[in-house]
Amino acid sequence: MSASDPAGLESSPHLVSSLRWGRIGGQFLRTVVSVSVTILGLLVLTFFIGRLLPLDPVLAILGDDASQEAYDRMVQKLGLEKPLWEQFLNYVWNSLQFDFGTSLTSGRPVIEDILRVFPATLELATLAMILGTGLGIPLGVLAAANRDTWVDQFVRVVSLIGYSAPIFWLGLLGLTVFYAGLGWVGAPGRIGIVYQYDLEVRTGLYLIDSAISGHWDIFADVFSRIVLPASILAYGAMAYISRMTRSFMLEQLSQEYIIAARAKGASRSSVIWWHAFPNIAVQLVTVVALSYAFLLEGAVLTETVFAWPGFGRYLTTALLRADMNAVLGCTMLVGLIFITLNLLSDVFYRMFDPRTR
Amino acid sequence: MNRFWNFAGCVAVAAFVGAPTALAETPTDTLIMARNIDAISTFDPAQIGEVVTNEIVLNICDSLVEIDPEDEAAVVPSIAKDWTVSDDGLKITFNLVEGAAFPSGNPVTASDVAWSLQRVLTLGFGNAATLTEYGFTAENAETDFVAIDDATFEMNLSRPYPVMLILQAIAANRVANVLDSKYLMDKEVDGDLGNKYLTTQSACVGPYALRQWNAGEVVILEANENYYGPAPKMNRIIIRHVAEAQAQRLLLEQGDIDVARDLGAEDLRDLNENPDIEVVSAPMHQLYYMGFNNADPKFADDRVRLAFKYLMDYDAMSETVMAFLGMPRASVVPLGALGALDEAEGQPFSLDLDKAKALLTEAGYGDGFSARLFIGTLPYASPIAQHVQENAAQVGIDLEIEQMANAQLFSAFRGREFDTVMLSWQTAVPHAHGMLSRHAVNPDNSAEASLTMFPTWRASWFSEDFNRRIDEALFERDEAKQIEMYKQIQRDHMQKGPFAYSFQLLDTAALSKAVTTWKWNAFRAYYSDVEKD
Amino acid sequence: MDAPATPARESLRDWLQAPTANSPRQARAQVVWRGWLRLISNRAALAGLVVLALLVALAAVGPWLTPYSALGQDLGTRLQPPSALHWLGTDDLGRDILTRILHGARITLMMALLVAAIAGPVGLAVGATAGYLGGWFDIVSMRLVDIFLSFPSLILALAFVAALGPGIENAVIAISLSAWPPIARLARAEALTVRKSDYIAAARLQGASSMRLILKHVMPICLPSVVVRVTLNMAGIILTAAGLGFLGLGAQPPSPEWGAMLASGRQFMLTSWWLAATPGAAIMLVSLSFNLLGDGLRDVLDPRND
Repeated sequence: MSASDPAGLESSPHLVSSLRWGRIGGQFLRTVVSVSVTILGLLVLTFFIGRLLPLDPVLAILGDDASQEAYDRMVQKLGLEKPLWEQFLNYVWNSLQFDFGTSLTSGRPVIEDILRVFPATLELATLAMILGTGLGIPLGVLAAANRDTWVDQFVRVVSLIGYSAPIFWLGLLGLTVFYAGLGWVGAPGRIGIVYQYDLEVRTGLYLIDSAISGHWDIFADVFSRIVLPASILAYGAMAYISRMTRSFMLEQLSQEYIIAARAKGASRSSVIWWHAFPNIAVQLVTVVALSYAFLLEGAVLTETVFAWPGFGRYLTTALLRADMNAVLGCTMLVGLIFITLNLLSDVFYRMFDPRTR
Repeated sequence: MNRFWNFAGCVAVAAFVGAPTALAETPTDTLIMARNIDAISTFDPAQIGEVVTNEIVLNICDSLVEIDPEDEAAVVPSIAKDWTVSDDGLKITFNLVEGAAFPSGNPVTASDVAWSLQRVLTLGFGNAATLTEYGFTAENAETDFVAIDDATFEMNLSRPYPVMLILQAIAANRVANVLDSKYLMDKEVDGDLGNKYLTTQSACVGPYALRQWNAGEVVILEANENYYGPAPKMNRIIIRHVAEAQAQRLLLEQGDIDVARDLGAEDLRDLNENPDIEVVSAPMHQLYYMGFNNADPKFADDRVRLAFKYLMDYDAMSETVMAFLGMPRASVVPLGALGALDEAEGQPFSLDLDKAKALLTEAGYGDGFSARLFIGTLPYASPIAQHVQENAAQVGIDLEIEQMANAQLFSAFRGREFDTVMLSWQTAVPHAHGMLSRHAVNPDNSAEASLTMFPTWRASWFSEDFNRRIDEALFERDEAKQIEMYKQIQRDHMQKGPFAYSFQLLDTAALSKAVTTWKWNAFRAYYSDVEKD
Repeated sequence: MDAPATPARESLRDWLQAPTANSPRQARAQVVWRGWLRLISNRAALAGLVVLALLVALAAVGPWLTPYSALGQDLGTRLQPPSALHWLGTDDLGRDILTRILHGARITLMMALLVAAIAGPVGLAVGATAGYLGGWFDIVSMRLVDIFLSFPSLILALAFVAALGPGIENAVIAISLSAWPPIARLARAEALTVRKSDYIAAARLQGASSMRLILKHVMPICLPSVVVRVTLNMAGIILTAAGLGFLGLGAQPPSPEWGAMLASGRQFMLTSWWLAATPGAAIMLVSLSFNLLGDGLRDVLDPRND
């Protein structure tokens, strides 16, 4: 999260700019064209990254000991001897059907793997988001309302530390102190081994699954494990959200209608929460949507430290095991999520923001 | 900075004081083991190449025979209840046990045995080398592996190899895992002989059966209720993926697991002092070594390669970085194998910069040179490489380390695209021939031959003399004489061979006190013998 | 500042504080001066600046401050806790950690600066050209920017460095590849606002070529906001570099790069905490000071604050 910096907001793909003018039909067409061009670009980029990787997918399947004949046969089977353009067309055709091939390391279709590991990341990121938003917005408002006082400085330093600390390092320290030392939180991993096979998985989100089936002992176990990685991820998100909230609030607080409201005798807190805050709500939704996407990035490193069987760990393992199909599938998926979130926040922005309507 | 120090101090204190919470307990009928199982990619015995999967598959799929749990140099019956050898030593006849049945209900027959072995050659994965090494080929598979009747299986050899070696190398190996041929042919896709089905499932008979594998998460084995042999003691074996050694240690200390398999030297040192935990190790027939590309004239000089053997402080490393993980070994044959040099003679080297410098000067490289050193991601790879790097720098050799994913490392080594490399090699037989057949023999050094399964070929190292002597030693019937021949080969290999061996690796595990019996040797662990309180 | 100022400095101060500027140069200098005053009056930003200055100084002279070498191994004194001899302890090969941290500061700062030096100009050139020229160049380059921005920077850098091979140089290239697009977008926005301005039109009428216009007139106008953005991005760059090092894809052993030190120290977290704690703290400190400085800079340059 921290590496994403405030760039997240300001660099949201400017689909809006192409959306903003023109009639509805033209707008829609333009958006479709622009999104499809971006997706095609994603495909090109991932394909060439895949070709450039100095990892040998054939060896990854056959093992270190294989004979040259077996090697050549596998090259043929994988279609790696075909001309590059043909391989690319195959790749595009298959990707459009969400067929990213078979993972070399799990022997299952990549898309199946991703769907299996994704809920773990989703649960972690969502909880982090709830914590990060719940803390970040009030802190940002507080800082703006008390601009340049010690409160503002305090919020600034606390949140900037959230930006600045390497997330994997916080994870290691957190585990050492809160799990090994104090025993306040559960072990690395998503669920206790003894519980793993008693839990009926419906949504894939273990907190919800255990709650709806009434297994409160499992719920407690799952919660004790998720709370630390989620808090650490949330710290980064909180930092970002509180900085952006402060900035939006400052803008509102300097507006004339606020000054007018104050002059009419509205109390300070009612001006802040009833007059200014609703006006930044739309902007905040965009920020939250974007930082949600960036949590995926934080997840790559956090999941490594916390043995979290999610998307980030799947991607890093695939990278280290030369599992090209899985790496490309994951990269494509992250790209798609980014594009979708950006598009959604653009649309949302257009629909609800008075200035763009 | 003060705040940081206070905080850091808290971390340290907290880490050493330990957890105040009550210890968890694992179920008594279940063994829970933490291990890094990222390497698992299939359960097809014809394709498995990793140590982790090998151990699991040997516990779920019985082979013709099995390495004796009590004596790793001997074999005991498994699917084959006994066997006879023809007078010319070219035919081994196995009589199979009665009443063994696969989970599908199909009886275990000799044709399953023949099919399983032929299949390894037909599919041609890396494991086919285990068979081709002893003269079996895909073309002759049908006449070499023959089902005489349901209960009699015949193996025809092309040369009179020592029978014990064949039993260890093939009959006890995963290539002789007996698979359910009828069932798998039903599951066949595109002529793959069930390879796709076996990626995530098993179709064989053993004390345990594979119940579930979630890549990067867990492997669950369950006791096979219809097993023909003695029933295993644990009902379930759960192998949980925990990549971090630190996390494994914490889980073990907190009582969340019974066995931790991938601990680091420092953690093992601490755990060894803990009365609630037992640290056990078994020397594997696996050597950590440095390889040199002999296509480079520098490394083609015997003296240059020899000089590198004087660039490591073996004792200091084995007490620090490699404590509990390896013992110094310079001979190509691991301790414990038939024909191995004894401990002292098998490790005559020590850190001696003057000697190294003298050898380099003699070879014409007194001014040193620079070379790249490729290493993998094992935790000890980096410190060992840096240790050698520093000593090499003192004799003028500038080594540039490049650490890479293991897949990439193997790819560079196989492709002959390296200067020097550090990695390990494991053999599946407790016999000098196991290592020598790959680390001293190179049938054809030409690029076209592409004998990529021979590390000698990868290192572009070829010696007619070693090829001949190893063949002669293999067929020497007088065992005393044979051992003497092997010893001389090792002495010469130590001076002229393509590789600098540094450590014989140990398989080390930490067990919670609940585990009362844990049986293993150099080649596998026996899950069915595990006992817990 | 209590010491009596020299006449020359006094006149400089007068020049900077004069109520009316007599030349465009003086006007510009006054803007910078007022910004500077506002920046250092922001305590957090000042702290960031001071720590950074200190760090640069330490990185410059650090190697002469300790009696040890960053690479010198001594297995006899490995894993020593912090003490009078080794202020931050020693690592698993007996190397002094403080010395390694000081050497590592050079690597970290060097990487951050190199990325800034690559991504800044590239982003500026692409963005300014796209904004000024418009047309197909704008469409193509901004589509490219969109594609690059569809990935989190670490994942993109991870993929590139996996393709290029590990090492500091490749890490710098990979991070630069993921760092230029936001800068290009920013520069484009700035260029769009000036392309229609009168003095650009005037210069064009005088017959200046597009190339010359972009170089001499458009790019200088985009420069200040690009500089601020790059400063703000420094912390992100440092964390990405450390992340790559942590995953073993950055600096190679025996380099004392902080991310790599942290990665090799993590296996000693429970036995010798100082191996991982100190490089992590160092990364945090540098990144925090860049963030404090950047945050202050933004406050100063944000028109909303006036």
